[in-house]
Amino acid sequence: MKTHQRAKIQLNEDPREILGVPPDAGDERIREAYLQKVKENPPDGEPVAFERIRDAYEILRDPRRRALYMFLSADPHAPLLSLLPASSQERKFTGPDPWLAVLREK
Amino acid sequence: MKYNQETRLPRPSVCDTGASVPIPQAEEVRDLLAKGKTKPAVELAKEIHKRCGWPESEALLVDAYAARIRSLLKTGLKEEAKALFELVHERYSAAAARLADVGVLVSAAKGNLEELLRPLSDPALPQETRRAIENVVKGQVCDLSAVAQCAALPADHPLRTAAAALLRAFATVTIGPVEESALVLPEVSHRGPLASWKTLVRAIAYFYRQDDAACEHGLRMIDPDSAPARLIPVLRTMLRMSAAERLAPAGDSLVDRVCGSAVSLRRALQALESAFETRVQGKILPEIQRAIAACEVAYPELLERLRQHISVRSLHLDLPTRKVRAALGGASIKNAYFWRLYAWSEESSREPLVPIICAQWEQFRRHAVAEGWFGENSQEAAALYLHMAELLLEVPVETLERLPSNFAAHFSGFQTFYEDQPPVIRAVEAKYKKRDLYFLSPSDLFERACRIDPHREAFEQWLNWAREESDWRAADHVAERWHQALPNHSQPLLYLMESAEKRGAFNKATAFLEQAQKLDALNPEVRRAALRLLVAQTGRHLRQRKPHLVEQDLAALEALPQAQVADRPAFLVALRWACEVIRGDAELASSFLSQIGRLLGSSAAAIFACENAGDLAGLTRADFDRYLPQVSLDPADSLISATARVSVLGDDVGAPFTIPTAWHGGLWQELTNGQGELASRQLEMLGKVALRTNQKELAYAASVAGLEMGGDQEARFLLLRARALPEWEIERRDDCIAATIELGRRRRDMSIINEAMELWRGRRNALTNFFDWLGSENWHDFSMTTEELNAVLQHEKHSRRFPLDRHARYRAPFRETVFLDDAEPEKDDEPFTLDDIDQLVAEMGQPRGKRQKRVRRDLPGQGDLF
Repeated sequence: MKTHQRAKIQLNEDPREILGVPPDAGDERIREAYLQKVKENPPDGEPVAFERIRDAYEILRDPRRRALYMFLSADPHAPLLSLLPASSQERKFTGPDPWLAVLREK
Repeated sequence: MKYNQETRLPRPSVCDTGASVPIPQAEEVRDLLAKGKTKPAVELAKEIHKRCGWPESEALLVDAYAARIRSLLKTGLKEEAKALFELVHERYSAAAARLADVGVLVSAAKGNLEELLRPLSDPALPQETRRAIENVVKGQVCDLSAVAQCAALPADHPLRTAAAALLRAFATVTIGPVEESALVLPEVSHRGPLASWKTLVRAIAYFYRQDDAACEHGLRMIDPDSAPARLIPVLRTMLRMSAAERLAPAGDSLVDRVCGSAVSLRRALQALESAFETRVQGKILPEIQRAIAACEVAYPELLERLRQHISVRSLHLDLPTRKVRAALGGASIKNAYFWRLYAWSEESSREPLVPIICAQWEQFRRHAVAEGWFGENSQEAAALYLHMAELLLEVPVETLERLPSNFAAHFSGFQTFYEDQPPVIRAVEAKYKKRDLYFLSPSDLFERACRIDPHREAFEQWLNWAREESDWRAADHVAERWHQALPNHSQPLLYLMESAEKRGAFNKATAFLEQAQKLDALNPEVRRAALRLLVAQTGRHLRQRKPHLVEQDLAALEALPQAQVADRPAFLVALRWACEVIRGDAELASSFLSQIGRLLGSSAAAIFACENAGDLAGLTRADFDRYLPQVSLDPADSLISATARVSVLGDDVGAPFTIPTAWHGGLWQELTNGQGELASRQLEMLGKVALRTNQKELAYAASVAGLEMGGDQEARFLLLRARALPEWEIERRDDCIAATIELGRRRRDMSIINEAMELWRGRRNALTNFFDWLGSENWHDFSMTTEELNAVLQHEKHSRRFPLDRHARYRAPFRETVFLDDAEPEKDDEPFTLDDIDQLVAEMGQPRGKRQKRVRRDLPGQGDLF
């Protein structure tokens, strides 16, 4: 049995990215970022986003938990698709021609 | 068979009835048409018409021709269709009316939109022909601008205005975000031939808004026979990023332009994921190649990471090294990222092999330090050491002792992983020439972790481990280290006090207690320890028959505020009673016994307290017989209430009370009959005291009563149930332990979790060797779903009778029988021998593919080069 507690946020999510802090951010910087994010996503208005932010902060505020998270954050069983950046879901506007070309194709 | 004019059949007379004449073999013609066999249908219809020559047979023939012309158009034979249409139109009088819609199709096929649409400007156009033209527009017209500019129709014709509006909307939604108002398109009738275009435009707008559900809803609304339906599979591909349907080149091109080349990679990764699920090498390897190729195009910067993930997945499935490496186009980089992934993968496997995992984490540590992830003596390094130590806590102590020598003898390291690696990676491994197997020793790991980052939890874990697995000197050493590192903590001092007290070194114990009191005299643990130590010291002096020292001890005890709480004064009087028994003062002893009875509200409780005080003082049976009356088994007061109350008192003063054997039957009877109203702590303590003399049936009865109470104490009584179960109820006990831990987790009760873990470890350490341990399912995760937890609770609540049926030992574990889909037991029940450990460790050095197949499991090897 593992004695460590896992965060509610997904293992392949980087809590630093959620709080928007650089990898070398210290306790003070992490706390500032957390408070800023909570302002932007208050628990009443954005409960889901707030939960993620709080989970991320819970991981990062404790240096030992932060360290342990680093070891366990790469999930080998996560779908390979999760390796792709979020920008891979972008949809580019192309104008009508390539769309109409599909319709014209025999 | 030939028919000529002479052999024509006479037409039956249906004069003035208006009815049509039944045509011989007409059904056969229609059957052929229905099956799409237009050519034989035409041949047969021609023969029938030659034979009959009736208007009805001509109509049948024209219908067959119409189907034939449609078929020709569908296969792209426009000229042939046109020629046939003209021939039929010219030859048969019935053709003009029956071929109207086919004529529209032929006109459309010529590509002349104006010719197709011109009839629509005629208000007298027959409804059938209008419908036929609109059907062609709906299903075939893809050029909206041609419709919008069709000179054959007036400029304000609804079809032209609708097409122009759609053209503008189509351009708008594919150029940038649009407002909802731009999608209303009142010019386009929802019943007109261009209705599906309107839906398509909306679906595209929703697609770009990332409102995939609305987009999919729109796609479902598009008429599948309409021209815009050709975009449905392409849009669905972009929505789901799936490889479900093969697209035409223009479709693929659109997907690439809209979603970038990532969509190909996504599709390749999904295909690879599915291939991994099959676990079939022949399916996985080609998909690896495709995924790598797609990644090279779409995200070359992700290529190495993808290789590492695929490598680890392949290692997990034991795929052949060389083939995987070839499919990957080279070996993955064995840097910190790889080792972290690999160790974590093995750790989360169904049958993790802890020594190998620790070796993998050590590889990770080396590379992480070299790559600057963290420093050699950083908090991260300490956390890693602690994590490795935690993993090793699951290995039985006797296996741990032999582990380094077995490992050194058979495991040569991970050298083969480094053969095809860049110099920078090889240099890291080369740096550690001297073999250090510290990562197989919990003691070394705890020591490193606590040196770098001394904190309570780490020392607690280290001390708990040392206390359970080593002798008192090792545990004292850990406590001393803790005290040196964190001198403000009272916990190590209390441990040292207890250790000294157990060895009879009361002066030392007192000195440690005084230090702890100086640090934090108000700490409940310190106060409890002071009481316990004084009680133990009093017992020692009683056993040494030194009443004058006992008097001093009792005076000190009475001066302790914590000795005046609850029933504790009664125990002090019981100690005085024991002292008077030793002195032989029967009168005073009797007076003290009465006083205890008054304090505890029951003569039975007084006798029980004195029995235990007497045990502590080392009184003989004769002393008890002389100074202590036999308790009446039919007292006015409840025996069970008295015993439970004094059991709590024993726990309070830190004395290991036991229940007189003669009382067990009566207590069990009272408990099972529900006599006496006991608080949950009283029940729990009663059960624990019963277990000290192995009275499992009594403890079991206490757990029945406790579980019936429900509430927050369920975890405590589940744990009592686990302890009270007979030895052979292994699986049921494991279920109770797991449920206790789960309840403890949910209620954040660390003390119950620790107690349960201690019980579990105690059972684990009873196993004889490493492979007993491997096969004992101790690997399982203790986490339970709510359903599993409730099922265990309900099962235990309903199991009110102490189990006596030893045959039950062969049943499947409870959770498996209830929750596992596949109840098929493992057929591989051949026990492992001790020699297997050497064989397994030796196999770690063999490249994959050369090992002998193992039925039970295979191990991660060092020949994994991809």
